[in-house]
Amino acid sequence: MFRKLCRFIALPLAVVMFLISAPITMVANAALVTTDSLISSMSAQQDRDKVLNFFSREDVSSQFRSLGLTPDEARSRVQAMSDEEVRQIAGKLDQIPAGQDALGFIAFIIILALLVLAVTDLAGITDVYPFIHPMK
Amino acid sequence: MRQRGTVWRALLATALAVALGACAAPQAERLTQDRGTLPAQAKVEDVPFFAQERLYCGPASMAMVLAWSGVEVTQESVAPAVYTPGREGSLPADMAAAPRRYGRLAVPVATLNDVLAELAAGHPVVVFQNLGLSWLPRWHYAVATGYDLDTSEIILHSAMIQDHRTPLSKFEHTWRRGNYWALTVLPPDRLPARAEPLAVLRGASGLERVGDHKAAAAAYAAALRRWPDNLGAAIGLGNARYAMGDRLGAEAAFLAAATLHPEAPAAWNNLAHVLAESGERRAAIRAAEEAVRRGGESSATYRATLDEVSRGTN
Repeated sequence: MFRKLCRFIALPLAVVMFLISAPITMVANAALVTTDSLISSMSAQQDRDKVLNFFSREDVSSQFRSLGLTPDEARSRVQAMSDEEVRQIAGKLDQIPAGQDALGFIAFIIILALLVLAVTDLAGITDVYPFIHPMK
Repeated sequence: MRQRGTVWRALLATALAVALGACAAPQAERLTQDRGTLPAQAKVEDVPFFAQERLYCGPASMAMVLAWSGVEVTQESVAPAVYTPGREGSLPADMAAAPRRYGRLAVPVATLNDVLAELAAGHPVVVFQNLGLSWLPRWHYAVATGYDLDTSEIILHSAMIQDHRTPLSKFEHTWRRGNYWALTVLPPDRLPARAEPLAVLRGASGLERVGDHKAAAAAYAAALRRWPDNLGAAIGLGNARYAMGDRLGAEAAFLAAATLHPEAPAAWNNLAHVLAESGERRAAIRAAEEAVRRGGESSATYRATLDEVSRGTN
């Protein structure tokens, strides 16, 4: 009975929802692309490249492997992150002064890995930290 | 017992390492060992000195660099743009935004090496320092006017002292506690010596945002002179010219952008708009189609452009 009812209202409901959401998603203004929006997409791409290049470094990949994370997996995680999340990691990369000693570097990598896990926790992909609940 | 002693020793060693690490001034050290292409000394001679009034290190520093760049200001006249009475100080974000309101290009400077490079190029640099401790801060702005690598000193217009000489390593400590914040403030047609293209573009688009399209156009043009194939600079130049009512100039800039970067839909999209407004409907449609074809993230915008130029509602 309930199933029947569901089937009965599902289609009209879908149509109504489409009509409600359509004006929001389909209205695009024919306008000049502003310099601001262009720059933000350019810098998002630059940040992503920076993080991916960093992960491709030999010393970094070996650190990842020692943490039980394959470089490929790390890269796929970066690809899955939003621009904002990538920007945060790229910001961390900017803070490593060149020629830092190994200890600091390793500590940094671990922090970075934890950050990656926290982000994936938030995305609901992993569940390393019980206190982080995925965003709904 | 023995084990506990080991733990304590390890903790002590770690604490010591952290404390020593905090004392090092790695950037200053590297500079004294290897100055690279930097000249041994540099001094920007024509930076006016304004002795700061109480709590006005922000306004005074901003006024000094603005005055150097050719704007007639005093610390009192700049204060409303940077000083926050409730905080008894000036926030870095306000300091970074204020030059735009005077038509000046403001670009952050990231490293000590870059600060010195700007000074060597004749550009004063506003720096943000914490003269106190991280847990007991005493925030301060000053203007770097020169340096001397032979004596390892940086020269600052700071508070009440003109051309105050202070060791580079000491400056690095106070500057690090200020989160390495530094800013060049330049006439819009003059670029920082070392900045990356994106940093310059952000400064220029800030000028667009406050509606100073003439200054923005000058900054984009300067960026194009240094980086001739930069897409953001070419489109920015077109946008700024368009906002000034210079449709032909905008068309030229967008055409150049689309020619240099045919893969960039934004260039085709903006070109389509100005072509349509000039009555070049067929060329506009071709450009709009190109934008849709190159698509990407905001393809809805490009399709809307194509609809509009095809209908000829422009």
